[in-house]
Amino acid sequence: MLTGLDIAGDTPLHRASARLKLILLFLAAVALFLVENPWALAAAAIIAAGLYASTGIARSEAFRRVRFVLFTVLLVAVANYVFHSLAEALAVLFRLGALVLLAAAVTATTTISAFMDEITRLLRPLERFGFVRAADVSLAVGLVLRFVPEILARYGDIREAHRARGLRVRPLGVLVPLIILTLKDADTIAMAIDARGFRRQ
Amino acid sequence: MDIVFSGASVSFAGRPALHPLSLRLCERRIGIIGLNGSGKTTFARLINGLLRPTAGQVTVGGLDTVKDEAAVRGRAGFIFQNPQHQMILPVLSEDIAFGLKNRGLSKEEISARTEAVLERFRITHLAGRRIHELSGGETQLAAIASVLVTGPDVLILDEPTNQLDLKNRRLIEKTIADLPEQAIVITHDLPLLDGFDRVLLFHEGRLEADASPSEAVRAYRGIVGC
Ligand SMILES: Nc1ncnc2c1ncn2[C@@H]1O[C@H](COP(=O)(O)OP(=O)(O)O)[C@@H](O)[C@H]1O
Ligand SMILES: [Mg+2]
Repeated sequence: MLTGLDIAGDTPLHRASARLKLILLFLAAVALFLVENPWALAAAAIIAAGLYASTGIARSEAFRRVRFVLFTVLLVAVANYVFHSLAEALAVLFRLGALVLLAAAVTATTTISAFMDEITRLLRPLERFGFVRAADVSLAVGLVLRFVPEILARYGDIREAHRARGLRVRPLGVLVPLIILTLKDADTIAMAIDARGFRRQ
Repeated sequence: MDIVFSGASVSFAGRPALHPLSLRLCERRIGIIGLNGSGKTTFARLINGLLRPTAGQVTVGGLDTVKDEAAVRGRAGFIFQNPQHQMILPVLSEDIAFGLKNRGLSKEEISARTEAVLERFRITHLAGRRIHELSGGETQLAAIASVLVTGPDVLILDEPTNQLDLKNRRLIEKTIADLPEQAIVITHDLPLLDGFDRVLLFHEGRLEADASPSEAVRAYRGIVGC
């Protein structure tokens, strides 16, 4: 099972600092929305896919992670084709597709603690005005990154258990135990955070 | 360190989980036994303020677990029944270091302490491993290391050998026996209690026996009827 979305490795993307990657990702997003030519965007999507592949992630895992979002992007593109034009649809498809792949590449090569440190640093100025507690926000983000894969794995387990008992796998029948188990865990995890003094300042 | 219960009790939604209890714990090795649901975890959680007494008071080293919650947490470390849940970051060394952040330590100090605690429990080779890939025994050692790195005076362990095979059970038993820190151990693993100073037996939310390991275990067998 996988915990945390980063995969171990020593590729150029792994070695780049979290801050640099986040800044580049932001700039790439801005650039992608400024460009309108579908062929230029297609080239960007191919480069993004190449970067994602360069992280050394296994092909099946790489696909599993982005398929849901890419499918949504495809639906948006189809809607654009129906209501606007083919050129517009292709532009949307490649633009959002490239962005998803770039974000996946950054996620796959950045450890949770690096993300958390970066978020804490980013929010420090706001902390001075009393808006947020930077450490809390970064802890929240870290927790999401840490436990989302675990919740997905549990979803798989529950589905399997349903099948093993010969029950039909209905979304609701899987979701209810999933939510209950997740809330129970959340309770323990919240307690553990207190017990270990993560929030003490 | 002195842990004092003064008429402390806990109810969940009006149902008593722990009846009023007054006692003082200062021994180095304290065991807690009893059937499932007898109130062991509830009792243990009172000690580091994870749970507030519905009535009465609990103090640790003279500090009130409600009023001085943060300070009490620093003195009483807790190992959860499922130690996976208390590891927040996916890689062991990261998780241990994370526990030391927000404490005004320098980066060098944090990594020196992390290395020292890994060495202390002979798990330096696991530093870069993912918590999820660790075996049951390794996870338990990792959790103990991640809590003791912050220097609590007393360690509370909730069924630490529960899901372990015989070999790992022996390893954790020995690790606990060798701890210089005071330890309070909830367990169903009765041999673990050998050499303990004092054992508390809970039954249906009441303290049923407070005695030497052999006497408490005898009372426990009396309850079960075998
Ligand atoms: N958070 C809670 N909410 C409601 N009831 C609880 C809660 N935690 C424990 N209990 C109840 O309190 C009793 C004692 O539980 P616990 O201390 O966990 O027992 P043990 O650790 O000895 O198995 C049980 O009846 C349990 O169902
Ligand atoms: Mg318990």
